[in-house]
Amino acid sequence: MTRLKFIPGRLLQVLPVAFGVTIIVFFMIHLLPGDPALAVLGEHATSSSVAALHRSWGLDRPLWDQYLMFLGRLLHGDLGTSLYFREAVSTLVIQRVPATLLLVLYAVVLVVIISVPLAAVAALRPGGPADHAVRVVPMIGLGMPNFWLGIMLVLLLAVRVRFFPVGGYGDGFAQHLWYLFLPALTISVSMAPIVIRSLRASMISVLSSEYIATARAKGVRGLHLIVGHVLRNAAIPTVTVLGVNIGYLIGGTLVIEQVFALPGIGSLMITAIFNRDFPVVQGVTLVMAVIVVVIGILTDVFYTLLDPRVRLR
Amino acid sequence: MSTRSRWAPLALGLTAALALSACSGGSSGATGGSASSGPVSGGDLTIARGADASAMNNTNTFDNNSIFVFEQIMEPLFTVSEDGTTTKPWLATGYKVSKDGKTYTIDLRKGVKFSNGTPMKSADVKFSIDQDTKTGEDGWGFINSAIKKVETPSDSQVVIDLKYAWAPFIADLSLFSNGIVPNNYGGESADAFYKHPVGTGPFKWGSWQKGKTLKLVKNTDYWQKGKPYLDSVSWNVVPDANTRKLQLQGGQTDINEAPDWSSLAGLKADPNVEAKTFPSTELDYIAFNQKRSQYADVNVRRAISAAIDQNALIKAALYGNGTPANSFLMPGVPYYDKNTKGISYDLAQAKADLAKSKYPKGFTTTLLVATGNSTQETLSQIIQSQLAKIGITVKIVQLDPTTHKARRAAGDFDMAFAAWTMDIPDPDEWVSFAVNPKGGSHSANTWWDDPEVVKLNAEAQRTVDTKERQRLYSEIQQRAADAAFIKPMFYVPYAYATTKAVQGFEVTPLGNYHLEDVWLKK
Repeated sequence: MTRLKFIPGRLLQVLPVAFGVTIIVFFMIHLLPGDPALAVLGEHATSSSVAALHRSWGLDRPLWDQYLMFLGRLLHGDLGTSLYFREAVSTLVIQRVPATLLLVLYAVVLVVIISVPLAAVAALRPGGPADHAVRVVPMIGLGMPNFWLGIMLVLLLAVRVRFFPVGGYGDGFAQHLWYLFLPALTISVSMAPIVIRSLRASMISVLSSEYIATARAKGVRGLHLIVGHVLRNAAIPTVTVLGVNIGYLIGGTLVIEQVFALPGIGSLMITAIFNRDFPVVQGVTLVMAVIVVVIGILTDVFYTLLDPRVRLR
Repeated sequence: MSTRSRWAPLALGLTAALALSACSGGSSGATGGSASSGPVSGGDLTIARGADASAMNNTNTFDNNSIFVFEQIMEPLFTVSEDGTTTKPWLATGYKVSKDGKTYTIDLRKGVKFSNGTPMKSADVKFSIDQDTKTGEDGWGFINSAIKKVETPSDSQVVIDLKYAWAPFIADLSLFSNGIVPNNYGGESADAFYKHPVGTGPFKWGSWQKGKTLKLVKNTDYWQKGKPYLDSVSWNVVPDANTRKLQLQGGQTDINEAPDWSSLAGLKADPNVEAKTFPSTELDYIAFNQKRSQYADVNVRRAISAAIDQNALIKAALYGNGTPANSFLMPGVPYYDKNTKGISYDLAQAKADLAKSKYPKGFTTTLLVATGNSTQETLSQIIQSQLAKIGITVKIVQLDPTTHKARRAAGDFDMAFAAWTMDIPDPDEWVSFAVNPKGGSHSANTWWDDPEVVKLNAEAQRTVDTKERQRLYSEIQQRAADAAFIKPMFYVPYAYATTKAVQGFEVTPLGNYHLEDVWLKK
């Protein structure tokens, strides 16, 4: 497994990224007008009660001092305590991360299920009617805003005919899969066109290569040809496209989680921003950044496994 | 004699016209049950809400989403009556007041047990009230500032000595912050206790996945025999208004705690759903910042007030669900005066008032609107066009709710939308907050200061005679209306949408609901 030697080095690169993220997030959120004490106290806020809360949260200290305290706690693995929920940020994040990751993974699986057959059909007869249909129809999915498509799917499949729940997460893995189907489908519909395009293009180029001609000469055709010979090589650029998009998706789940009332880190982030819950915003951003970097590394790993010729350092 | 005047209220501030409800002091519920078949036991109730509760400590938590939950666990000695104007005994059975109005002797209800099985005694009551008082400025303690000491002559009686005669005292005791918890938190620290609070209420602590769902389960030892009917109640966080509506229609939730006005009309057409409104104590108003020179001029404030057509606002923004406001007090609050002459729509009068002001040709100004609040957005556009008719150019400034609050608290605005709901059945809570510049919030963040009104308010707090209090509050209301320190727009009912299976669900004008009366039709 010498090919995977690059992993420890890549993991080390997480550190400067995370450090940069803490600085940017910390100072950006404090630039926002608005006060977490007012979010907690609401209309009751009197200047003395606001000041008292500021004192107990340490918000009356200079900003750099607050940042050093935050960094000091972070080095001890402590993300701080939510101002609004009065609970450890790490606890909140750990509760929320599974829903987001499962949603993203689910969406990716659906993307693959949708894209591979469509791309194959298109690539086998480039320029044919099936190819044109595959190139045009999914673009509609790309053009539809996520939140709107989500609502339409809910209206159709959850309210009109009650096949799926309107929102929520359910209990237990089987229920999660059932509850997450509509949100995952919503994401995959907007992600699939990009993957189909890239996969179709690389399939066409692989199909014109010599080893495929050899395979065809041996009498391999149709599904066997695609699965056994084309897909593995054609998938490499697509894995990169998918990896980049998953990165975006981690941030993009904010909207979907809101529409489907999913308890993921995206919806936690929105609540935290509206309440100016600084520690939670910082913690969630940090975790998101780390996840995105790790997905980048996983993409590379996948890549080297697909193509033994690739050697990353 | 410091009168703690800012009785903070839990108003919904920025959520303005939405039908969130208020919090409140305990209250009474209406017994449920429609018609023929009586209540049946069993079932799990699911309530969809826009935001999660924040904490369970009833002495220092201010948001309605938390209050509605812990009111089901911890109950006060007195509770608000169905119509929201008075109190009735709850964990107490009655009280006597000494002649000087300074000593209250309260008898406790017999046979009341905490959900952990121990009986409620006077020591628990003393502990609970003392803990609330101790929070002072940082919690609801200011509401108990009249209390000198709480004594426990016997297990079934408490005697409370006041520093001075204090008219709203029993109303204060009905506030949820004076809910009864076990003495010494049953041996735990406050922090540990409020992670799974124990009380005498119809429901006891279940589980809480923060930001997702909070569940309470039936207290089988509840002192009202046969109640509650439900096995459990879950509050699910569903941030998106449209998703809440769809969850209700899809049968995934039983109650939508915050439907918006536009969807309420649509829901009425759905055969499986019941859209309900309940009289509230919510007032939606426009705050004028009197630190700004334009708004320091009473003629400007009166001109704007007369240029706004309240009926047009109600029709367009609330789909007709509201009543024009004449006073800054709300109907349903004791001492509200329906004869207060508010400034109503009169364009000629508005122009005449503006001509008398220092800005006869009008001016350019701003109106703060909280984003995500479609009602406020509609209102702002109508007001913009109405004020244009008298030469005032309004720029609409949209801010997210937290920034909106911060700008109002800092006095960094010209005009802003705001709202108020009552927590206790006594006007003092809001009056002191609204008209007393030293009440902690600079007269509800308007910086209005009328020494005469401040004096009248101080008198009303100390007067126990109801006739005299009515006279004082009537005068305060008329003076406030004449000064147009805010523009009271309208009184808004609470809106709830439920499935047809939900029975016995009622909301008091103070916003609280009694889930022990709720049952699900099979």
